[in-house]
Amino acid sequence: MKKIWLLLMVFLVTFSVLCLGIDNRGAEAAKAADSGKGAKATCQTCHADFAAVIPKGHPAVKGSDLTACTSCHAPDQTGKAAKNAFSSRMHLAHVAPKGNQDCLVCHTWTSGKSFGLKGVKGSFGAPNKEDVAMMKEIFASWGGSKFMDNLHAKGNIGCAGCHGKDLPKADDTVENNRCLTCHGPMDKLVKKTEPKDFKDRNPHKSHLGDIACTVCHKAHGASKVYCLDCHKKFDMKIQGEKAP
Amino acid sequence: MTTEEKDILAAKGLSRRSILKGAVAFGAVTASGFALNMAMPGAAEAMIKKLPKKWDETWDVVVVGSGFAGLAAASAAAGAGSTVIVLEKMPTYGGNSIINGGVYASWDDKYHYRNNLGLGVDSPKQHSDDTLKGGDYYNIPELVDVMVNGATGALNWMIDEGDAKIRPTVTRAGGHTAYRTHSAVAGVGREYTEALRKMAEKRGAKIILNSEVTWIWRQDADPKSPVLGLEVKRGRRVLNIKAKKAVVLASGGFSQDIKMRMAHNPRLVPEFNCTNQKGATGETIRFAQAVGADTLQLNFIQLYPFAEPETGILDTPAVYPFNGPGYGIVYVSKLGKRFVNELERRDVCAFAQINLGANMKPTWSIFSRPMVLKMGGSYEEIDAGVAKGRFVKADSINELAGKIGLPAAALADTINKHNKYLEEGKDPDFNKPITKVMIPLIEGPFYAVSQWPAVHHCMGGLRINRDSQVIDVFGSVIPKLYAAGEVAGGVHGSNRLGSNAMPDCVVFGRVAGTNAAKEKV
Ligand SMILES: Cc1cc2nc3c(=O)[nH]c(=O)nc-3n(C[C@H](O)[C@H](O)[C@H](O)COP(=O)(O)OP(=O)(O)OC[C@H]3O[C@@H](n4cnc5c(N)ncnc54)[C@H](O)[C@@H]3O)c2cc1C
Repeated sequence: MKKIWLLLMVFLVTFSVLCLGIDNRGAEAAKAADSGKGAKATCQTCHADFAAVIPKGHPAVKGSDLTACTSCHAPDQTGKAAKNAFSSRMHLAHVAPKGNQDCLVCHTWTSGKSFGLKGVKGSFGAPNKEDVAMMKEIFASWGGSKFMDNLHAKGNIGCAGCHGKDLPKADDTVENNRCLTCHGPMDKLVKKTEPKDFKDRNPHKSHLGDIACTVCHKAHGASKVYCLDCHKKFDMKIQGEKAP
Repeated sequence: MTTEEKDILAAKGLSRRSILKGAVAFGAVTASGFALNMAMPGAAEAMIKKLPKKWDETWDVVVVGSGFAGLAAASAAAGAGSTVIVLEKMPTYGGNSIINGGVYASWDDKYHYRNNLGLGVDSPKQHSDDTLKGGDYYNIPELVDVMVNGATGALNWMIDEGDAKIRPTVTRAGGHTAYRTHSAVAGVGREYTEALRKMAEKRGAKIILNSEVTWIWRQDADPKSPVLGLEVKRGRRVLNIKAKKAVVLASGGFSQDIKMRMAHNPRLVPEFNCTNQKGATGETIRFAQAVGADTLQLNFIQLYPFAEPETGILDTPAVYPFNGPGYGIVYVSKLGKRFVNELERRDVCAFAQINLGANMKPTWSIFSRPMVLKMGGSYEEIDAGVAKGRFVKADSINELAGKIGLPAAALADTINKHNKYLEEGKDPDFNKPITKVMIPLIEGPFYAVSQWPAVHHCMGGLRINRDSQVIDVFGSVIPKLYAAGEVAGGVHGSNRLGSNAMPDCVVFGRVAGTNAAKEKV
């Protein structure tokens, strides 16, 4: 029993030292990235040894920068509506609330021109300052909110899973077809939420016609059953409705 | 005005007065690019606005609102070859129109139902007379003229080109002297919003949701100065949209804007329920005022007398009390007594209930199965309503009274008397004009539906002319600015007759869209 406590203490102390150090080293890494375009992401400032962070049974990793990972885990640039465990895990570990790294530790960015990954060819888009500020804000929500974005994060779904290939814009929305790739087909969804007593009180079969999923299901804000705006007495619940 | 804003003005050697006075002078300083703003100093809208330096999007015709009026305008303008965008702030399209009861007043229709069913005579003139009388002659006659003469054509337009379907009957509703109220097969306004949406999209118009108009751009109040475009909030983005030909405001009424409705009609306190969708607020009227538009009759706000008593929604059962009077429906209080001539106008029916006293909520409509189809209803709707407890069904009046908690003897007495009045063709209690097609409550089953007034419709709004152009405070047309539907005022006077809003919206939407498309680029 004593041994376990001791181990735990050691772990906690090491962990907090690491955490305290992270900010600075992250900033340094970002600075290094800024000064030289195409520079490599120096994972080593934090991860002296990748063995500590890779899953059990993972083959040994050589190298000290991001390409050590991306050489096998090639970033998905197709924007499929699918899980992306690697990208999700990397982002979850490095953005708030778990981590606190600046995007530019791993990413390259020339405002309004390009946005990519260090050591990897290609650009995901051309975000400007506001776009990046928004992505940062939304990433934080994705990483730790009580909203639908975090529910997706926990299921290894990142931005591209819903928004597709291009980086999301400030007025981006998600088309129903995208949601239905995983949550469909529509008939199945309708059946699932069909009330036993009154079939017409089905949130997935509105009298308002073919409405967008996002009318009720909000990714980066509180979801809300739209029906209840007027039909105040209906008993309907939705996931991700709580404020963080 | 905040001190900061005042400082900016002072630095430029301008005062608020000089802005208002110096419209022409202002024109001379276009380089500084200020936008016209007549908003009250200190109001949120009163800040100094700079005209946009660049436009994010450009369309021939920009329509605000995706209800009957907006979609009709979009169909007409796109049909005439213009590029058209419809901006809707809500995440769903259709506004109040898609949830509306689907009843449409028109003296005729392509199937000539009134005539073929032997329901008497009618004409645009008779429709106009009723509308003017129902509005206590506060209506602007030329606007009524446009509505009554365009109503049948607009209905047939949606049937022929949008595949809208109507039920094979016509009813006589409160304030109307003829059987001219048509019901939609869907039983709700969606029948027509879908028709119009398809027509608009087929002709190339784009409907964009989640796009809230936050300003109308106009440089100055010179009568020659056109509206230039709109500021729009879409998601987290603010963008400016240029209208090459015209802006059509079709943003509906403001029944859900409690502050605005009480500013004009203080007795419409927040405690009143409201039948409208959440987005029925008045900001576009304020924006239009801020660029010089005139308004009229904003205090004329209608209560729907028969809304669902608890939530105030106008669900399918709540349309029955409105459609029933021409066929003999009876309204009774908790005491089992009639309180009004059922063929009265909405304001009379609403205040007859309110005047019964607050603890007299709800009142009830009593009708029977033989009336259902004639009054534009359907047995499916009846069965669904009974299952949900909205309609109460019984085989005798006695049993019905027991089920809804009314004194049975009083109710039986009221119904018997009313049956006798129908037979004798005379209503000594309330002077209802009895007609031969009214059905006495003898043969069951009998039904009851509960009802209570809720804030419903804004008769007042922006001042327009017969071409749907918005008029400024000095009486001049504001170039390239149109308004149609509930956002415009003057068609209905002090009280809108039920089923007159649809022809108003579709007809004026069509007029606005047609004229907008004719504007020079
Ligand atoms: C429940 C109900 C039942 C009714 N039943 C009938 C009936 O059976 N027969 C009849 O004749 N009349 C009926 N009426 C009245 C009639 O439906 C309305 O007057 C009519 O629908 C108004 O149409 P509209 O196109 O002017 O506005 P709406 O249909 O209300 O559309 C206006 C749209 O503009 C949008 N909007 C507002 N502000 C902005 C902004 N700043 N930026 C972008 N978009 C904005 C709104 O969200 C809304 O979607 C009913 C009304 C209600 C509420």
